[in-house]
Amino acid sequence: MKTMSIRRWLGAAAVLCWATALHAAGLQVTDDRGVVVSLPQSPQRIVSLLPSLTETVCELGQCHRLVGVDRYSNHPAPVRDLPKTGGGIDPNVEAIVALKPDVVLMATSSRGVQRLEALGLKVLAMEPKSSADAKRVMGKLGQLLEVSDADRIWRAIDAGVMAAAQSLPADARSLRVYYEVSTGGYAAGTQSFIGELMARLGVQNILTPDLGPFPRINPEYVVRANPDLIMIGVRNVQGMAQRPGWRGMRALREQRVCVFTEAESDVLVRPGPRMAEAARIMARCIGDKGRR
Amino acid sequence: MALKTQGVGVALGGTLVLHGIDVSFMASRWTSVVGPNGAGKSTLLKALAGLLPHSGQVLLMDRPLAQWRGRERARCLAWLGQGEQGADDLSVWDVAMLGRLPHQPWLAAPSHADRVAVEQALRATQAWDWRERPLGALSGGERQRVLLARLLAVDADVLLMDEPLANLDPPHQADWLLLVRELVGRGKTVVSVLHEIGMALHADRMVVMAQGRVVHQGACEDPRTHQALEDVFDHRIAIHPLGDQWVALPR
Amino acid sequence: MSGARHSLWLASALLLAAAAVLLLGAGVGSTGFDSVLNARTDPVAWQILWDIRVPRTLGAWVAGGLLGLAGAVAQGLFRNPLADPYLLGSASGAALGVALALALFGTSPFATQWLVRLGLTSAAFAGAVLGVVLTLALAKGVQHTLRLLLAGVIVGVVLGAGRDLVTIASPDTLQAMQGFMLGSTGFVGWAACGVMAAMLLVTVLVAASLGRVLDGLALGEATALSLGLPLGAVRGVLVAVLALATGAAVAQTGLIAFVGLASPHLVRSIVKTTHARLLVLSALMGGLLLMAADVLARWIIAPQELPVGVLTAVLGGSYLLWLMHRRRRPGGGL
Repeated sequence: MKTMSIRRWLGAAAVLCWATALHAAGLQVTDDRGVVVSLPQSPQRIVSLLPSLTETVCELGQCHRLVGVDRYSNHPAPVRDLPKTGGGIDPNVEAIVALKPDVVLMATSSRGVQRLEALGLKVLAMEPKSSADAKRVMGKLGQLLEVSDADRIWRAIDAGVMAAAQSLPADARSLRVYYEVSTGGYAAGTQSFIGELMARLGVQNILTPDLGPFPRINPEYVVRANPDLIMIGVRNVQGMAQRPGWRGMRALREQRVCVFTEAESDVLVRPGPRMAEAARIMARCIGDKGRR
Repeated sequence: MALKTQGVGVALGGTLVLHGIDVSFMASRWTSVVGPNGAGKSTLLKALAGLLPHSGQVLLMDRPLAQWRGRERARCLAWLGQGEQGADDLSVWDVAMLGRLPHQPWLAAPSHADRVAVEQALRATQAWDWRERPLGALSGGERQRVLLARLLAVDADVLLMDEPLANLDPPHQADWLLLVRELVGRGKTVVSVLHEIGMALHADRMVVMAQGRVVHQGACEDPRTHQALEDVFDHRIAIHPLGDQWVALPR
Repeated sequence: MSGARHSLWLASALLLAAAAVLLLGAGVGSTGFDSVLNARTDPVAWQILWDIRVPRTLGAWVAGGLLGLAGAVAQGLFRNPLADPYLLGSASGAALGVALALALFGTSPFATQWLVRLGLTSAAFAGAVLGVVLTLALAKGVQHTLRLLLAGVIVGVVLGAGRDLVTIASPDTLQAMQGFMLGSTGFVGWAACGVMAAMLLVTVLVAASLGRVLDGLALGEATALSLGLPLGAVRGVLVAVLALATGAAVAQTGLIAFVGLASPHLVRSIVKTTHARLLVLSALMGGLLLMAADVLARWIIAPQELPVGVLTAVLGGSYLLWLMHRRRRPGGGL
């Protein structure tokens, strides 16, 4: 009896020592640039300059740790009351410094990264482009925030996407879809997270994999490919029918165009925790307009 | 010979503008260059000043122009172009001081000699009183006098002037005549392109040009010079004596 | 000479105004005047004041000085009142450098480590110098002014197309490039300030020493040559000055229009003087202009910021419109 309890105590002590040692060593996270950021403890004051990262932090239940966001972060609702510190590309350096953050989360392609680091702030630069990226980033944020089982978000997304896929009829597999993401003809390619979502829903992308994740497509290509269904945001739909050759396309003639509202577009273009909802939006569109 | 050319040819934009010019300008004399429009007078003057690439040779003080170093040549030979634009913001004094550039070492402020030369030049062209005014505020004739002062300030031995009487009214044209006489008296060589034939005939020597060639060079009193002049203008003018001068009148 | 006296008066006025705007700039920002009041007690407020606001305001002054000087050099060298420091392909080169750096940031991890150290600023500077070198190669030297201008425009267009190609190839750089194109002093720290200040000192000294040659050039190339001025060598040095000044400014603050164009005109409308003084005054005027625009950009919609390039375009554009209106009125000659 006594040896068992001594062993249990020793085990507990060992765990305690190990935990303290780990805590004293602090937290080390590697961002997408390969830079290793060391923190004394899990950050309590966070500034996020990328909407998908903001949503992930909140989804992990750590919304209260956010002290500032960029002007485009608008979900979930509590985030809207936070101080806005510029955009992702043009951050307001002074505003960020004034908030005294422990760490700043931002995109890799921003100039502010160097300036903020030069001022002594810790910066984690992450920018997910594919689904694998998104999963990895969520895991990293879970590690940063010391939230156990961050993977549950991904499992929930997975389940949601699968459910959305199953809600579609079998003949949806033969549908050929074109999704125009932003003005100027930038489309969702097969390697983007949007394209991967489309693949999981079972539809075909008219773009080929060699074109890259977000290629800029010649409108003529779309006419030649003759998609069965077109997905586009309300911001970009202006003048679509006037593009040469488009009016005669079957998708336009038969009104097989899904025009996503601003709120829906926000969900669709962010590789964050709402990807399951994105799948549902897309599935609804395919179900409504895709039927022959 | 202060200035001499040997077979000088100049091509502008692919076409030959001067054909094998052989001409000489005597030292301490005033030579005027005349001819119809397009004869190549301005081009000749620019070639003499070394401002245009040319075939053949130009000899300044019996030395090929190519052997003169830039500033050295600029101290010996001064050139005034036709209708020079620009520099409207500079004061008259500053413009005249530009003429002293060949004499000034790199970053030096104007020396006493520079200031004296500029004052003399401005007084000689009656521009001294408005030395503070910006060039852009002057009338055409006043501007021309300032540009002349710039030329004089160089204190060069050879002065080349292209249409120096542009915009000058008759009293100032007379002043210019006196000025040239005085310069020649001091030993300077003056070459001027003039389209006012009457004024040109006041010179010591004349070079008559047509179609990129020198038709005649000789003394102004020489009847052969008058003949060449009348020939080159298709006999539309006649040279007549008037007292101790010559005038050119349309026929 | 009254020209000298007026120039001195203007220079003093510009310096005094700059000092006043600097003080104002230290008090303006997203956290308002509180940072100044708390500077002694709160280390973050002190950091905001000393590490953020002062260097960027000062940086705006120095960058404006570089652009103003470059504008005066360009207008004197090309004898064209509409000449702009961006005429030699330096702006397009800088933009291309930034685009390439941004594109590599996202794709190759090897490139990111190296580039992180060098920074986007060096990429922009290298691009600016490359643009000028290309222009000089195309124009076959600096002998002919018109050919130089033409080559600069061609190189500008070609490098701009190159930048568009890079941006299209990696579309996530599109937004970043747009941000760069609008210009901002938001990323200027003390190091950047120091680099620009050193460049400003060097370029002003070199350019001012060549002021007399620019005066001679004002009467025409032929006259300048006849005065024995070494035009080829001087043009080369001045083009280098132009490239350095523009590249240094663009590398730190992005593309900011009109400062280089308007500064010499503003100086000339107040004082008529020789080039040596005009170059220095143009630098001082450009500095004041950009610094004032920067402070305004931070103040008007505080706590948010307007891109400073937009403000200089509005201010500079209005000034040029007013200038045109004045010229059109009868008797309103300059």
